[in-house]
Amino acid sequence: MNISRRHMLGISGLGLSAALLSACAGTGTSTSSSGGQEASGPLQFWSNHPGSSRDVEQKLIDQWNADNPDDQVQLIDAGANYEELAQKFNAALSGGQLPDIVVASDVTWFNFAFTEATTPLDDIWESEGIDTSTYVDTLLGDYVYDGKHYGVPYSRSTCLMYLNTDLLAKAGLPTDRGPETWQEFAEWAPKLLEANGGKAALSIPDGSNYLDWYFQGMMWTFGGHYSKEWDPTFTDEKTVEAAKFLQDQVKAGHIVISKDAENEFGIGNTAATLASTGSLGGMTESASVPFITAFMPGPAPGCPTGGAGLSIPAGISDERKAKAAKFIDWFTNTENTIEFTQATGYMPVRQDAAEHPDEAAFLNENPNARTAIEQLSENTASQDYARVFVNGGGKRIGGALDRIVAGQDVTEVLSSLQEETQKVIDRDIKPHL
Amino acid sequence: MSTHHSEDAFKQVIPPVAKKETASRGSKATGKTKVRKEKPRQQVALGISPLSKIGGYAGAIIAALVIALPLYFVVITSLKNHADIYADPIKWVPSVWVPQNFSYVWNTLNFDQYLMNSIIITSILVVIKVSLGVLSAYAFAFIKFPGVNALFFLVIGTLMVPNEITIISNYALVSQLGWRDTFTGIIVPLAGVAFGTFLMRNHFRSLPAEIMEAATMDGAGFFKTLFKVVLPMSWPTLMAFILITSVNEWNQYLWPFLISDTGRVAPLQIGLTLLQNNEGLTNWGPVMAGTILATLPMILVFLLLQRSMIKGLTAGAVKG
Repeated sequence: MNISRRHMLGISGLGLSAALLSACAGTGTSTSSSGGQEASGPLQFWSNHPGSSRDVEQKLIDQWNADNPDDQVQLIDAGANYEELAQKFNAALSGGQLPDIVVASDVTWFNFAFTEATTPLDDIWESEGIDTSTYVDTLLGDYVYDGKHYGVPYSRSTCLMYLNTDLLAKAGLPTDRGPETWQEFAEWAPKLLEANGGKAALSIPDGSNYLDWYFQGMMWTFGGHYSKEWDPTFTDEKTVEAAKFLQDQVKAGHIVISKDAENEFGIGNTAATLASTGSLGGMTESASVPFITAFMPGPAPGCPTGGAGLSIPAGISDERKAKAAKFIDWFTNTENTIEFTQATGYMPVRQDAAEHPDEAAFLNENPNARTAIEQLSENTASQDYARVFVNGGGKRIGGALDRIVAGQDVTEVLSSLQEETQKVIDRDIKPHL
Repeated sequence: MSTHHSEDAFKQVIPPVAKKETASRGSKATGKTKVRKEKPRQQVALGISPLSKIGGYAGAIIAALVIALPLYFVVITSLKNHADIYADPIKWVPSVWVPQNFSYVWNTLNFDQYLMNSIIITSILVVIKVSLGVLSAYAFAFIKFPGVNALFFLVIGTLMVPNEITIISNYALVSQLGWRDTFTGIIVPLAGVAFGTFLMRNHFRSLPAEIMEAATMDGAGFFKTLFKVVLPMSWPTLMAFILITSVNEWNQYLWPFLISDTGRVAPLQIGLTLLQNNEGLTNWGPVMAGTILATLPMILVFLLLQRSMIKGLTAGAVKG
């Protein structure tokens, strides 16, 4: 596994030049595979099964296959996480047989679109008469580049604050809500610390587990940003202030940055944690403490959206593209998104899902799942370019935050991060815009 | 594809050997204690002072702990439930034993299929690599032809090329041959051998030329010399080569991952990733259980080969 991370970095770096590389490989050309992809074989659906969803994915696909004997779909295990999937896809782009549907995460879809590895969907939707108006607007809007959609929301998440209600009660704090601002959290923390025998109040995953994603929301409430469009703003005084806040809270013992933050919370080691909505299913099953989910502290927006969508590679034949688009539309329709999200904890991606009787009943039984859906319209925003669109952005920021948490000088770390990011943007993005 | 991971594998193989060594040193030392009681003089002769002995034991214990502790934790974690794994303070013994982790892995993973795939891939690769390695090394060691050294350095040179560099072009090639999701696609690009050639050739070179001459005079042909004379004298090195190759191929991840699409041909290491949750909680109990199950076959291979490695060593010592 540790090899794969290095490989991943290396290969995703190559991603931008994947088109060039395919020519270099010298064993074939992408044009041959666009027409030559055998039109009769089943559609290849490359998934990393977000949220341990393999069974539910297979179940839905079996349904589709039973109803559409002519357009079979095959589920492929394409990696242990989004990065591995991107790596495998990049390898396929170098001149192999391409998949027909790929899972593209918040950090990978743009690179796929930018390098023209995936195809814009608007024309296909029009010619196939696919109605996209019922997708949740903000979720669908996340996949727009240059005025065109390059993906459809699938396993979409936001972050949530999970709070241990026993400890909240013991600390004399309200048990039906989380802190409304990070300043309020700072006031709550000493009480929670005391209630839990001096253990840290809040656990947040570390830089290699998407601290950069969680911190983004925290930073927004301070008025900071990773970037404004293509201009990195790491050295902006508001961004620095937020990073200092994080560092101070860690120093004070209020926050602990941990590789496995959710488990720390699940066994009662910390009074609260930040985790994806995708963890809700697992947490409900395995946590040994009673908990509630709450919005990320505000003021809004205090939380980025995340998770993955579905894209269609550009190199396959038009006929297969059309079939893939139809399948995706069905796969994420109201009934199926409800089934998928109830099995995993992700958010339904269709507007009418919330009114569906199945979903309404589910949400009444699981108020914790409702939090995410409500937060989506009230407390979220799309992510900053520097994290999701710049190659390796998430990793770079996560690494910098790890250094800050470890006690290095905030301004120093952020200025070098600013420089590095600027360099990558100038090299990889600016020339192609 | 080069075998540059061999060095890693070598490292992986080393600890158990080192452990064995310390263990045997330990037993030797205890043997000496007995001897010392009968003949106190020998103590002086061997120069073992009580202090250095204590130091030796301490060293042996520390070395054993460094190796054993993580192993102990893997084993114990595989038998813990979720709460125990994250308990604070650490639980050295599970409060509830959960052998169900193992049956969970076996049942949910399609474990036997992955295991079978791993065995097929590893055994075929070992056979190919060892045959290629031995034959090419034999040629390099004993056949004289113009440019033999240049050719040898070319082979060694592939050791210096990182695997990562060749992956993209290998992938394109294999994919266009239609070998994706097949054993052929996984095996062929991994079958190249350079480390083995290097290892065996250097060993063959170190064998006394007189024996080969004697064999030739006795009428042994080219191949008879290889199988009846050279290889029997190279047993320990050959076993080490086989062992390194097996462990190395067994632990392959990136290449089989890229080439396999379904569970049909994917080896165990890929199956294990299905136990981890992408975005959310991972229950480490089953993951550790799976890790142990995936390691066992290699431990077995080690135990089997190690016996003949030692046999070979002693045989050589007597002859030498």
